[in-house]
Amino acid sequence: MLSLHEVEQQLNFWGWPANGSWELYLGNTHLTFNPKTLIMTWITMFLVILFGIAATRGMSLRKPKGAQNILEMIYEFIRGLVNDNMDPKKGAALMSIVVTYFIFILFSNLIGLVPTLSSPTADYNTTMGLALCTFVIIYIFGIRYKGLGYFKHYIQPFIPFLPIVIIEDFAKPITLTFRLYGNIYGGEVLIAVLLGLLGGWAHVFGGFIASVVWLAFSIFVGFIQAFIFTMLSIAYVGQAVADHH
Amino acid sequence: MGLEFNATLLAQIVDFIILLVFLRLVVYKPLVKVLGDRSEHIAGNIAAAEQERQEAEQLKAGYEAEMRRAREQTQEIIQKATKAGEDQALEIIENAKNEAGRIKDAALAEIEREKQKAVAELREQVATLSVLVAGKIINKNMTNQIQRSMIDNFIKEAGELQ
Repeated sequence: MLSLHEVEQQLNFWGWPANGSWELYLGNTHLTFNPKTLIMTWITMFLVILFGIAATRGMSLRKPKGAQNILEMIYEFIRGLVNDNMDPKKGAALMSIVVTYFIFILFSNLIGLVPTLSSPTADYNTTMGLALCTFVIIYIFGIRYKGLGYFKHYIQPFIPFLPIVIIEDFAKPITLTFRLYGNIYGGEVLIAVLLGLLGGWAHVFGGFIASVVWLAFSIFVGFIQAFIFTMLSIAYVGQAVADHH
Repeated sequence: MGLEFNATLLAQIVDFIILLVFLRLVVYKPLVKVLGDRSEHIAGNIAAAEQERQEAEQLKAGYEAEMRRAREQTQEIIQKATKAGEDQALEIIENAKNEAGRIKDAALAEIEREKQKAVAELREQVATLSVLVAGKIINKNMTNQIQRSMIDNFIKEAGELQ
């Protein structure tokens, strides 16, 4: 039985620097990056772009097939969600953002299931980055459709609600961040733990079944988490632009 | 071990924005266009189908009216023809009757004439025979003229007696 650390070392096929980081000095500012997360993000972006181009190359009006079908399905499904949550006219501007959320998070979650690779979303920097985008978008949409009147809801119906609403506002990106991060990071840890726990001879006698089951479940979790992040972003923005305040 | 956010956060936001802009330009624009075109296409097809259906209904109504009219005309023609046929039949029968009557009358006249002729001939022969018979019985020569007048008288009397 191996420890998690040992398993990670054995899985380090690409030679990631252990606890490594990239340092960058811009004048007096000292920037630190997680190389593994960044490289995996770039690979994911590359795959998403590849998928997008494959889906839109030679699109057919009458008889869509292959990647075009999948992309259309995702797009129309998310458009349905957006239209349920807000006026379709307001939602049109949100569409490309939330569809990108869904596809990018989905690909990020699934790429972690490939042996030796890891999910960009298993790093809270990534999920926090996405959640902050949502946080900003909520304000942009709120102000765009209500002007400064958007801030009136902080003191409605009474002024004492102000701290509660502010906490609620900050809870949104934080919950988005850690829900996604926790699920995906937990999934990856369990993959490694199962490999270490049931390593060696145990695998010959069916120890791999646990890993297979967990991988299958992780695919499901990947879809669900991508959906939840997208759905909640839509719901938050929908709340911000709704007319009944 | 606490949470330590570092510059990766900023890099990820930038990455996401790059991806968003790229997808928006390269992927969503044509996709939205295709989806819009498709719904337009479908709406157009539905409208066209509706219109065609209406046209077909109009055509159908027209054809039905025409057919009804044709049927009525047919009925009329048949009735006329039947009537004409009946009239003609009556006429033919009438003509036949007349013809038959005429032929019958002619035949009766002919018969009468033949009868008269036959009676006259018979009379002649009977007279000749009677002269012969009488000549033989009486065995006495008379002049032909006397005999003749006698027999004629005799036969006349016999005819009147009848």
